[in-house]
Amino acid sequence: MSEETLEPEKWVEKYADMLFRYTLVRVKDPDVAEELVQSTFFAALKSQHTFAGKSTEKTWLFGILKHKTMDHFRNAKKNINLDISDSDTDRIQFTTSGHMTPSPNNWNMDPEKATQNKELAEVLAKCLNGLSEKFHRLFVLKEIEGLSSEQICKEFDVKPTNLWVILHRARNQLKLCLESNWINKE
Amino acid sequence: MNWFMSIFKMTCKDVYPLISEEMDRSLSLSGRLRLKIHLAICILCDIYRKQLQILRNLARNLGKEDSQAIETETLNPEVKEKIQKYIEDQI
Repeated sequence: MSEETLEPEKWVEKYADMLFRYTLVRVKDPDVAEELVQSTFFAALKSQHTFAGKSTEKTWLFGILKHKTMDHFRNAKKNINLDISDSDTDRIQFTTSGHMTPSPNNWNMDPEKATQNKELAEVLAKCLNGLSEKFHRLFVLKEIEGLSSEQICKEFDVKPTNLWVILHRARNQLKLCLESNWINKE
Repeated sequence: MNWFMSIFKMTCKDVYPLISEEMDRSLSLSGRLRLKIHLAICILCDIYRKQLQILRNLARNLGKEDSQAIETETLNPEVKEKIQKYIEDQI
C-alpha cells in the first residue's frame, strides 16, 4: 500500500463542492460557507507538513474544515442570542380536550430505511433553512454535529431546560415541514 | 397510590415534552415510567415519537461527508477560480 500524498492542485476540482455542501448544511448562510471552505484550503496549504499520510487526503481536509466550523460556531455565539424568547413558539398545540394538533399522521416508514430516501433528505435540507438562527444553530450542534447536551450548554452558555425546549420546538417545526412538503404528497 | 394512579391519567400534553427530551437527556425514573405507560396506550404519541426518531436519523445522514442530499449546491465558480489560483501560486 502506497502512502497517501497531497495533490493541492487538484483539491478544488475534487473536494470544493463536497466541502461546501458539508458546510452549507451547518451554517445556513452560503457566504459564510464559502469563507469557511476557502480558509480551509488556505490553512491546508500552509500545513501540508502536518499530513502524515495515514488518513486520506479527503479525511484530512474534512478534519481542517470541521475545526474551522466549530471555531466559527464558538466565535459567533456572541452574535446569536440562544436564550428562549416569546417568538420561539411551539408549532404544535393541544386542543382543550388534550389532543395534539395538527395530529401526527403515520409516515409508514422504517426509521432506519428513511435515511436511504434521498428525496426526503433534500426536503429536510430545505426545512432546516426555514429555522430561525437560534433553532438552526442548536439543532445543528445537537443532531448534525452530534455534540452532547452537556457540551452545548457549557460551550454556548445555554441553560439545559432552554436547550431541551428549543430542540423540541425545532424538531416540531421540522417535522411539520416534512409533513407538508413531502409526506402528504405520497 | 395516588401517584401511581396519576400516571395513568397523563394526557398527551403532559407527556409530549418528554418524548423529545429523552433524546437530549436521561429522564428520571418517574419520567421514564410515565412515558412508557403513556406510549403503550396512546398510538398518536407513539407515532410522534417514531417521527422524531426518523427526523434524527435523517439529520445525521444529511450531515455526513458524503451526503448526496444537496448535490445541486456548488461552490461559486469565481471563488473556486480564486482558490485554484492561490494554490497554484503557492506551490
